[in-house]
Amino acid sequence: MRVYQQALFYRIIIGECNVWLKKIILPIVLAFLAACTAAPLTTYHDANMDFGSIQTVAVMPFANLTGHTRVEDRVRDVFMNMLLATASLYVLPPGEVARGISRVQLVDSTAPSAEEIQKLGVALAADAVITGVVREYGEVRSGTASSNVISIGLQMMEVQTGRVIWTGSTTKGGINMKDRLLGGGGQPMNEITEEAVLELIHLLYNG
Amino acid sequence: MARRATLLAVLVLLCGCGAAARQNQPDKTAADTNAPPLLAVFPVQNLSGTPAPLQKIRATLIDLLQQQGFAVLDDKTLESFMTGHRVRNVGGIDGDTAQALHQETGAEATVITTLELYVEQFPPKIALTCRLVSSSDPPVIRWIDNVGLAGDEAPGLLGLGLIEQADALRDKALHTLVAALRESLAGEREMPAAKSRFRPKLAFRSPTMEQEKRKFAVAVLPFFNLSDRKNGGEIMVLHFVKELQNLPDFEVVEPGVVFKELLRFRVIMDDGISLPSAAAIFSNLNVDLILSGKILDYQDAQGPWGSPYVDFSTVMFFNNSREIVWASKSYNKGSDGVFFFDVGRVSTANDVASQMARSVAAMMAN
Repeated sequence: MRVYQQALFYRIIIGECNVWLKKIILPIVLAFLAACTAAPLTTYHDANMDFGSIQTVAVMPFANLTGHTRVEDRVRDVFMNMLLATASLYVLPPGEVARGISRVQLVDSTAPSAEEIQKLGVALAADAVITGVVREYGEVRSGTASSNVISIGLQMMEVQTGRVIWTGSTTKGGINMKDRLLGGGGQPMNEITEEAVLELIHLLYNG
Repeated sequence: MARRATLLAVLVLLCGCGAAARQNQPDKTAADTNAPPLLAVFPVQNLSGTPAPLQKIRATLIDLLQQQGFAVLDDKTLESFMTGHRVRNVGGIDGDTAQALHQETGAEATVITTLELYVEQFPPKIALTCRLVSSSDPPVIRWIDNVGLAGDEAPGLLGLGLIEQADALRDKALHTLVAALRESLAGEREMPAAKSRFRPKLAFRSPTMEQEKRKFAVAVLPFFNLSDRKNGGEIMVLHFVKELQNLPDFEVVEPGVVFKELLRFRVIMDDGISLPSAAAIFSNLNVDLILSGKILDYQDAQGPWGSPYVDFSTVMFFNNSREIVWASKSYNKGSDGVFFFDVGRVSTANDVASQMARSVAAMMAN
């Protein structure tokens, strides 16, 4: 009788566990695993676009959504240099892009329309146009801890149709556990800017 | 003995400066050819953005040059020449002015001095660039060097090495420059090698340049100044003119000639140089390369604390392909690579920028 009761007890326990396992734990594990394997939602590639056909790109002035001045020029400068250094794309010089903007008479060079991009492509003989936005740049604070942070978003449009063929965004820096425990102010702005731009270029080439 | 060797070297270097002009002049006697070369010392160009004793700097420089055996054109003649030819840009000289200077005054070369930094409060700081340009058309840069000093850069034991007076620091800087001129003309000057800690952080070099192994003529255009430093763009030009000129792979066009061409073609550099403007400069200056860039930070330390910081990027166009063949990004502090007792600390932005430009130029050449 005692053995039967014990067996029944274990069966109930195991049965309840099975219910728990099936209804709660398993979905959580599956969701976790799915999150680990899914593509990051920070980039988009047009599957129908032949990126190998893009040889020359024009990098437009970036939009600045931060409270600091001139940061869009700093980030654009690093991005243009790094993109050129890949030696797989020719990046038009900034003076030539400025001439194109002036010729096409863009109202807002940071957010051109599809028609304006088509006109720019003709004026600059570029295959694609890259626009960007700097969302965060500079020091962030949380309690007594401080660090540097940068957040950038880019998109590439082909000039024939003005369609968006790639987008990417990244955030680097910020306050981590080490900054909270040891202080130090985080990495210098130039270094995290390079890290962020490098990640964007990686997203552009590798998805 | 060293002075005689220097004067001989100067004569040899400057003998070709005014060849065309000399054809119409009577033959010189042996006594004339042994005479020291006549130099026109232009008024000092002030790019420091602060008031500075420019007359004193020029007077001290003239004294030191005369002590080294150079003959200096008197002020009255120079003033009347500059007034007559309406010479307003004292930071450079164009071909027509240089030739006229030689024909009318007999000056064999022009000494052009630029003041980049002048601080009188402790610690005093000074940064100067000086160059010797031949009086010929086109003018040729025969020598260029710069010096950046701070009164507290070598305090030594018990602070005995501190320089507290701006006048003393100014004299030291000018002595350094004139000594460098003497050594350079005598062929004794060795340019320091580029230091790895000042190498550009990002660099692109097109294989197009590597295919052609020859001496390139370069025009350095004013950098687009995004920094808080007044005249930062013009200051960076001088650093690159100096570093490229000191390399055997490049021959740099005198900035005064470039300035005149930019004015003549009314080139407005909105965010950098455009390809049509570059084409005009290529054809009129007959150069292979155009170097330009952006200066994002050019900060000297305020007071005894802090460290100078320089951040710039460069772009170079090639005449043959009309494309970018070089791009780089550099940023450094004066304290980079310094760990113990301030050994190796660089105390002025002039010195930091100079070493960074040297690294960039060395990578361009290789």
